[in-house]
Order: sequence, then C-alpha cells, then structure tokens
Amino acid sequence: MLKFPNRLVLALALAAICLPQSSTKLVTPEIRRVGDKLACKCGACNNTVATCSMLECHYSLPAREKIDEMQKAGSADQTIIDTFVKESGLSALATPPAEGFFLLGWLMPFIAISLGLVSVAIWFKRFAKGTPATQAPVPEIDRRYLDRMNKELQDLE
Amino acid sequence: MENVGALAIILAFCFSVYAILASVVGKWKANPFLLLSAERAVYCNFLLLTAASGILVYALIAGDFRLAYVAQHSNRSMPTAYKFASWWGGQAGSLLLWAWLLSLYSAIITFQNRRKFRDMMPWTVAILMFVQGFFNLLIAFIASPFDILVQGRGIIDVGDGQGLNPLLQYWTMVIHPPILYLGYVGFTVPFAFAMASLISKQKGEEWIHTTRRWSVVTWFFQSTGILLGAGWAYAVLGWGGYWGWDPVENASLLPWLTSTAFLHSVIMQEKKGMMKIWNMVLVASTFFLCIFGTTLTRTGLVSSVHAFAQSPIGVYFFTFLGLGIAGTIYLILDRLEYLKTETKLESVVSRESTFLFNNLILVASCFSILWGTLFPVISEAVTGEKISVDAPFFNKVNVPIGLSLLFLTGVGPLIAWRRSSVESLKRAFFWPTVGALVLTLVLIFAGIRHFYALMSFALCLFVTWTILGEFYKGSVAIRAKTGQNLLAAAVELTHRNTRRYGGYLVHIGIVIMFIGFTGKAFDKDTTVEVGVGEKFRLGGYEMQVRELVDGDNENYSWRHAKVDVFQNGKLVRTMEPERRGYKASRQPTSEVDIWRRLNEDVYVNFAGSGVGSNKAVIQAYIFPLVSWIWVGFWVLLIGTVVCLIPSKVKLQYARTQVVGVASKQYVEVPK
Repeated sequence: MLKFPNRLVLALALAAICLPQSSTKLVTPEIRRVGDKLACKCGACNNTVATCSMLECHYSLPAREKIDEMQKAGSADQTIIDTFVKESGLSALATPPAEGFFLLGWLMPFIAISLGLVSVAIWFKRFAKGTPATQAPVPEIDRRYLDRMNKELQDLE
Repeated sequence: MENVGALAIILAFCFSVYAILASVVGKWKANPFLLLSAERAVYCNFLLLTAASGILVYALIAGDFRLAYVAQHSNRSMPTAYKFASWWGGQAGSLLLWAWLLSLYSAIITFQNRRKFRDMMPWTVAILMFVQGFFNLLIAFIASPFDILVQGRGIIDVGDGQGLNPLLQYWTMVIHPPILYLGYVGFTVPFAFAMASLISKQKGEEWIHTTRRWSVVTWFFQSTGILLGAGWAYAVLGWGGYWGWDPVENASLLPWLTSTAFLHSVIMQEKKGMMKIWNMVLVASTFFLCIFGTTLTRTGLVSSVHAFAQSPIGVYFFTFLGLGIAGTIYLILDRLEYLKTETKLESVVSRESTFLFNNLILVASCFSILWGTLFPVISEAVTGEKISVDAPFFNKVNVPIGLSLLFLTGVGPLIAWRRSSVESLKRAFFWPTVGALVLTLVLIFAGIRHFYALMSFALCLFVTWTILGEFYKGSVAIRAKTGQNLLAAAVELTHRNTRRYGGYLVHIGIVIMFIGFTGKAFDKDTTVEVGVGEKFRLGGYEMQVRELVDGDNENYSWRHAKVDVFQNGKLVRTMEPERRGYKASRQPTSEVDIWRRLNEDVYVNFAGSGVGSNKAVIQAYIFPLVSWIWVGFWVLLIGTVVCLIPSKVKLQYARTQVVGVASKQYVEVPK
C-alpha cells in the first residue's frame, strides 16, 4: 500500500492525465444550423457535429471550428457541407442524400408501409368476403352463462 | 478451477447435443426412456453451466488474474458488485451468461411441462437444446471465458487487471445487461413451442396458451432492459440523451417491436382463430432478431460504441441465423394446412382491423429501424460508398410512425369486436376528439408551434381519455351493482379481466412515456467555461460555480464542482457534478448531477477543466418532461404485473371451425 504523500502525488498525476480538457468550441445557432446536417464521425456516437457533446471529440470540435471559419469567410451553408463531403465522402452527411441509390434509404420504410397496407387490403378482401359470419351453435351448458353475460352487459350500459 | 469450468462447458455442450438426439430419436421410435433421458440431460446442462458460471464469478471476485477474461474485465480495486458485473462485461462472459440463462429457462420449461404436451415437448426440448448447443459450442471452443494467460510454456499471473470499463461502473449497468438478456433469451421459449407445434402438426392454439404468460414476462424484461439502458445513457454518458439510435440500441428495440406486435395479434388467434401464419412469423422474427441483435454486438458488422471487440465469432452467428431462418421458413410453408384461418372478418370497422393496423405499424417501425441500421452496409456493398445514417434519419422516419401507433392505441379500445356502427363510433370518439382539439388550440395559444409536439400532446390526451373512459364506465357499472366506491370498483373491474385492463394500464404507461419523448422538442443546452464565482444563464436559471474540490480513492481520482442554481435571484439548488479519472484504465468519466422534476430536469455535467486554469467546463441542459419517461415505465411495469395476475372471471372463446364467432363462456374462478 502506498503512503499518503505518494498516493497524493499519484492521484494528482492521474488527475493531470484525466481531467484537463481544452476549452470547448461553443455551438452557436449558426454552427448548429450546418452542424446538424453533418455526421459526427468520432465512432463513439450517432450524433451530428452540432449535437456531439464529447468535449475532446477529435471530429466534431475541429469540424465546428471549420464551420465557424467558413461562415466568417462568408461561405454559404451548402458550400460548407459540400466541402465536408468532398473531403470525407458522403459519410460526412448525417443522413443519406436523397438522390440515386441513396434515395432508396429514405423511401424504403414508406414503400414497406405501403406494401403492408396493400397486404392488409388484400387480407380484408380475402377474409371479409364470402358467407356472412354465422352464430355458432351455443352448447346448452353455456346458456345460463350467456344469459348472465347479457344481463351484465345490460348493467354496463 | 479453470479446468473444471472449461470441462463443465464442454460437458454441457455434449449434454445439449445428446438432448437433441435423444428427443428426436425418442419421439421417432416412441421410446419414453430416451425422452426422459433427454429431459434429464436438460437439467444436467443447467447444472454444468451453473457450475461454470459460479467458477468464473468466483475467479472475478477473488481476482484470479491468470485468467485472460478476469485480467481484462476485473481488477482488485473495483467494488464487489462491479466485479460480479464483469461476468457480462466481455464477449466470452456475456456468451456464458446467455448460455446459462437459456439453460435455466430450458430446465424450468422442461420441469413445468414434464407431464404435459407429450406430443410437443420432445420437439420443444430439441429446439431449446439446438439453440443451447450453439451457445455452448461458442463458449466451449470459440470464445472460452477460461482461457489462461501464457508466456511460452508458463502460466502468467498479471497481478491486477484492467477493470471493467468505467462507463459500465454504474448501478443500472449491474442489472441492465442481465435483464435485457432475460428478455433476449426468453424469446427462445415461445419460438421453441411454436416450432414444436408446427413439427408435431398441432391444430390448436396450445402453444399460444402455454407461452402467453411467458411471452408477457419476457416482453416485460425486454422493456425493462431497454429502459434501464436508456436511464444509464441519460445519467452516465453526460450528453443527456436517453436514446441515440446506436445500432446496438436499435438491435434491442427490434425484437421488442415484433414481440409487442405478437402480444397483440395473438389475441386475434385466441379469440378469432385468425392470423395463425402471421403469429408464427412474428414469434420466429422476434427470436431471430434477438440472435441478430447479439450478432450485431459481437461481429463488428456495424460500428457501435456498445459492441464488443471484433472477433471471428460472426461467421458462426451468421451460419446459425441462416440455418435457423431457412428451417423456419420451410416448416411454416410445409405446415400451411395447419395454420388456416378459422373465421371471417365481418367488418373493416372492427377491433380486428385495429389489431391488423397496429401490427402493420409495429412491423413497419421495426423494418424502418432495421433498414436504417443496415443501410450503411447495404449502401457500401452496392455503391462502394460508405454513408452515415444517424439520429436525424431515424427521427424523421419513426416519429410519424410512432404517432400513428399512439393514435391506434386510443382507437383500438373504442371499437367493438366484429363490427362497430357509425353511431357507436360517434358516441365513443366525440368527446376525446373535442378534448384533443381544445388542447391543441390551448397549446398553440401558449406559443407552441412544433407540429409533431402538438400532435403528440393531442394524441396523448385522446388516448388517455379513451382508456380512462373505459375504466370509468366499467367502474361506474360495478359501483351501481355492488355499492363499492369508485376506486374499489375500478380494482374489482381490473380483477375481473386482468389481461384487458392490465393491457390498458400498459397503454397508459406508453402514453406517459410519449409525453416524456415529446419534451425532447423543447430541450435547451449550453456549454461554458467559467471560473469559480462566475455566472452563466440557461433558460430561466442562473448558475454559478461556487468551488472545485479534488480527491481520490483506490479506484479513481476526482474533481467535484459545486454549482449553485438560482431562479429569479433565489438559490434553489446546489448541484454537484463530478469528473473522475479511473486509475486502472486511465479513463475519464463524468458523474452528472440531475435535478429531476416532473416539468423539467436540470442536468449539469462537469466536463473538465481548462489546461492550466482553474476554470470549469460546464455543460448544462434543461430537459422538459423527461421524468415522464421513467414514470411511464413504472406504470407499464404495474400494468404488466396486472396482466400476469389470473382474472377473477375467465373468458373462454369457443369457435366453430369454419365461420362465425361463438359465445363467450363465463367461468367463475373459485376464490
């Protein structure tokens, strides 16, 4: 077991490793507007550049700074986004672009729902047609329960 | 000891293989001794895996750092509870937990049904043991938790281990994985019964009656596991989110969605003899999605912060999934004759339809999440271009789907079985609709313009009104008859049909959770670097860092910030977030402080100090209504428990084989 002063030194050394952080680039509404469209590619979150809250994030912090610089230089939002895409590919975007094959990414859930609705319609057609539902024969033993049920239902009304 | 553990697992593998063979051959040759020996092999499998698990837990707690697993996931300074939790902190240990839970479930099922379902049980045992055999194979030969650290020909004892990931050293993490696993593994049982009923060509719904309660319990564990994970993310990760649409989070939600659909559509099969094929598909999908979720976590198919280290284990999982899905599809197609619908639908405007739509929405939601999770992989395979599918995609797609589901939750109970007249619909929907519209107007006048938030609040009121209306009408009728007060009458009403009214309570829980989800639309946050004594503002609060205090213990060193929170100039709270540095792993973590209230949570994260300065980086958030999510969970829990209590009055639904709905039989259960 380490003596107290040694423990203190060790604790301070560890604190030096663990605690210091560089100051965070604050997310202004302007940065957020663009950052919300860009994926944070740190590998530890599924957030956007604007919403990643890891202080030492090696991706979102430089990305925010870059957005800030480009905005100050007068770049339009789309130009900034295009720059990120040019550098990192389409994976820089938080969502798939709505074009070409990637459009399928957006459409597929709704295609699936539409197909589901068609299936339900077919199901209705198949199982609703034909002979009307008939009352099944009621066994004698059930009569008194049926009467009681009717009475209880009337009570509920 | 480690040799005994490894041997126990290998023997368990042998017993699971034997149980499969003995069940199948015993059934085929009609040999009761073989069938009995198969059942005993199930018990032996359980005992052996219990022994192996016990040995691993002992090694973790005692600190046997000759074992690679112990050295990687435990250390001497961790509290005992976290040493125990290291059992499932890594790949091999978590697979052992899977296998052990399945062996426990298999032993319970085999014992409970030792004199029942003689046609079905051998097949049930064979399927359970097939799944068991797969997991035993993995932990016996592919990812053994009893591997020893060696150098040359010598065994090494590293003296101390790396410890459990600091992020996992939190109380919900001690119970979240095993509870989620209780859900994941539990879905094997309804699947085994369903497949056994197909193999043994059962015409009736025995498998459903047998597994209904089991399915509810398993669903409950899955719900609890998911919510505990959300609670952990909220309180530990320091970003204030409870759901990040991470692939592994999604993987836990997928079987939950299909099992929820199953719990609804199974009512159709019980009452109307409909949707038999669909129920088979749902129960099988749920099981395979559970395996798929486990696969995602372990294979590195998609990148996730939750995933274990990449390993060659994926090929085994994909082979198992491929074989299992192919076998299931073959069985269902081969037994279509036994899955014919018994009755016809009488009207589109009926409770039956709402069940159909409910299933459609749940499965669509499941599909869209699965699609979003896998689309990066599909896209890369097709176009060669890697893309990101992050939270904005899932929110855009799933919010409208979720609201549709919420709407159906309110509509369902108001529509009668078989058919509903326009008059009765008007009567049932008029006031809840008026209430929802009035609330929408009030909220608009109050300044809320968020479209989905308005819809969500309106629908929450609509659904609550319809459900409470059902309780109220029934309770009033009972009060008139018995003279009890309204609360006692409501309890009596619930006791008469626990499944129905327990289900309504679960729906209310879901509504309350939706209120919490909707609060997300109004989050506020700020990140500031402030010195001691400096103030900053967020929403209606002013915050001031009063002091920073350092300290340490055996496990970690820490710096503690005391942040005073003022409202209208008055001190209302002192919050104490902490920054820790774990010694063994040299990993920093944040211990956030949350001021939880029903209207909003104030959430403060001490994210660190600037280099060479005595300033604190503080992330402060206001999360409106988030506490409603946890309250909703407790209501859901109570509702599920109510569902499991036997009803005072049992309703049995007789049916004809061809058409029509027969009578309900009331059977008083003796007190």
